[in-house]
Amino acid sequence: MTQEVKTKATFPSVEWFDALKEIINGDEAYKRHGTCDASVGIKVPEAGKYFVITFEAFEVEDVKETDEAAAENTDFWIEQSYDKWQEMIKNIADNGQADLHHTLNTLDVEDPAGLARSNDGYRRDLFYRFNQSFQHFFDATAQIDTKFA
Amino acid sequence: MSDASTTDIPPELVQVAEENGIPLDLMRRALALGFPPDAIRQQMSMPGVTAEAAEQFISEQEKIRSGGEITIPDDVLALSREKDWPEELLKRALTLGAPPAMLIQQMNAGITADQAASFIAQQERMRSGDGDAPKLDLSWMNVPTEWGVRVSPGKKGLTTGMLNVGTYADIPDFWPYHTEMPRGAHPIPGLPAMGYSIYEKAELWSENAADLYEEAIQRRWRPSTDVPWDSMEDLPDAVEKAVCQLCTHISERALVAGDIVGGWLPEMSYGYHEVKLYLSVAEFDVARWFEVFRKRALSNGGGLGIQAPGFFHRTLIDARAWTEASVALHILAASQLLMLFQIGYYTAHNEAERTIFSYCIQDVARQRGYGSQHLKFFLTKHSDRRQEISHVINKYEVMMEYEWNADTPLREALMILLGGGASPEQMADGAIKLEYFRKRWANDYVDQLAAAGLRERREKVHHSIKQYLSEPEEAAAAAA
Repeated sequence: MTQEVKTKATFPSVEWFDALKEIINGDEAYKRHGTCDASVGIKVPEAGKYFVITFEAFEVEDVKETDEAAAENTDFWIEQSYDKWQEMIKNIADNGQADLHHTLNTLDVEDPAGLARSNDGYRRDLFYRFNQSFQHFFDATAQIDTKFA
Repeated sequence: MSDASTTDIPPELVQVAEENGIPLDLMRRALALGFPPDAIRQQMSMPGVTAEAAEQFISEQEKIRSGGEITIPDDVLALSREKDWPEELLKRALTLGAPPAMLIQQMNAGITADQAASFIAQQERMRSGDGDAPKLDLSWMNVPTEWGVRVSPGKKGLTTGMLNVGTYADIPDFWPYHTEMPRGAHPIPGLPAMGYSIYEKAELWSENAADLYEEAIQRRWRPSTDVPWDSMEDLPDAVEKAVCQLCTHISERALVAGDIVGGWLPEMSYGYHEVKLYLSVAEFDVARWFEVFRKRALSNGGGLGIQAPGFFHRTLIDARAWTEASVALHILAASQLLMLFQIGYYTAHNEAERTIFSYCIQDVARQRGYGSQHLKFFLTKHSDRRQEISHVINKYEVMMEYEWNADTPLREALMILLGGGASPEQMADGAIKLEYFRKRWANDYVDQLAAAGLRERREKVHHSIKQYLSEPEEAAAAAA
């Protein structure tokens, strides 16, 4: 599947997530999944990069770079090695969307600690409850010409 | 009768006249005959209506109103004889302005003369009532409920939870009414009870119920068309049989879940409609699971498999309190079901299976959301009943593990799916992977209980589940 590449940005950076936010907030198909309310931490420990993304109603409300503690002070955070992040994003770029081996659900079950982690089992379940919205969010990275830091 | 030349024409009729080539004078004459503007607009907008047909109809009506003979069209008359509609009845209908085509349609639709007479009499009464309005009571307009409420939509539209404003936000700990009266309405004394048995908020409430209801409605899906069924291809026989066994198992669980929730809904009083609303759509969710897994089993060359032993189901259906049923269904069983859905997703052979399990994962997570937050609320209000809940969970964990060990077909099907086939090597690989998923499930399950307030359950959980639990330090290290 080929998608129109709208912008260039480097992963991991706030510019990259902002570009993703712009794409999603203009994407009617994303809204059709239903509302999604969650604060999601993003951890790329090897790069020392941490972000918090706020999903609210039918859009991505906010993206900001934070420290590790703030990334964990969310409903749940998504954490994987830099190599895994890179592999996932490249797979999405190659296929237009994640193939079965690179979806959030698959990456989650393959990781003994889980891809989505939380200090609260109920809040972590938001990862499952809104999973298709989050998958749509990351699948939209196919529209970014991603450079890796 | 008004004078047609002085009758004003409402703008919407002018528009209809222009769109359909009807002279404005005909509109004036129709209004002068006393036909309501809505009825005229509807008639004139019907396909096939021409200026000539309208002229003929209105002329006939004017003739009738001025005392002229009523002409019954030949085709209407012929059909009326066949259908036993008296001529007099037809004349009364035509006098009221019924178009002949409509009379033919009604007769052909099987409307009897008696039914038509009753309707025509009602219309005649309404018409003769002009200027002679019945005496009205209207005391109901002084109902002492909160008035002037004007809830505005927010980013998510006008949601159920947003309606909880002012006195409508009062959700009492005990609901005092035994009838179907909605919360916030004014009761009529002396109405018979509806037979509910749950009147205490703690026994069913969950703070997220209204949100879960909206979420479930928005995230609904249609197995018929949302699943790309044409993506399925033939699978090796053993694998197809394993998929179908899993489908059979989940279908059965969906039926039982439906029976359980459906059995408890009539017990819940209407003071807590948010919960009843959510559980109603949760009922729909499980019906959809039954539907979709039956469809998967019967659409790729396979069929249904063997029934589950059902020990757990029978224990669950005998629950004597809703909180007990909910903990067992929405936390324990739903957590295990999430594991099955995750295995189904992980081993999906095509886009159809991936789609099915992806949707189901969302659905079951909502059910866990209700179960966990209901238990939390219950324990907050009844901290003295922690031990009772713990005993209840003991019982269900024992039965679930007994069921798991007794359900060889399910376990072997999962091993085949995880191993990719039924050879000894594949089964061995599948067994290892199944243990991995069991470990994930066990830890996830105790996390759910902890989130609901039963953190101590980690130490008390059934030994066959406890063996899978990561030590707290290990869990912390894994999460770090």
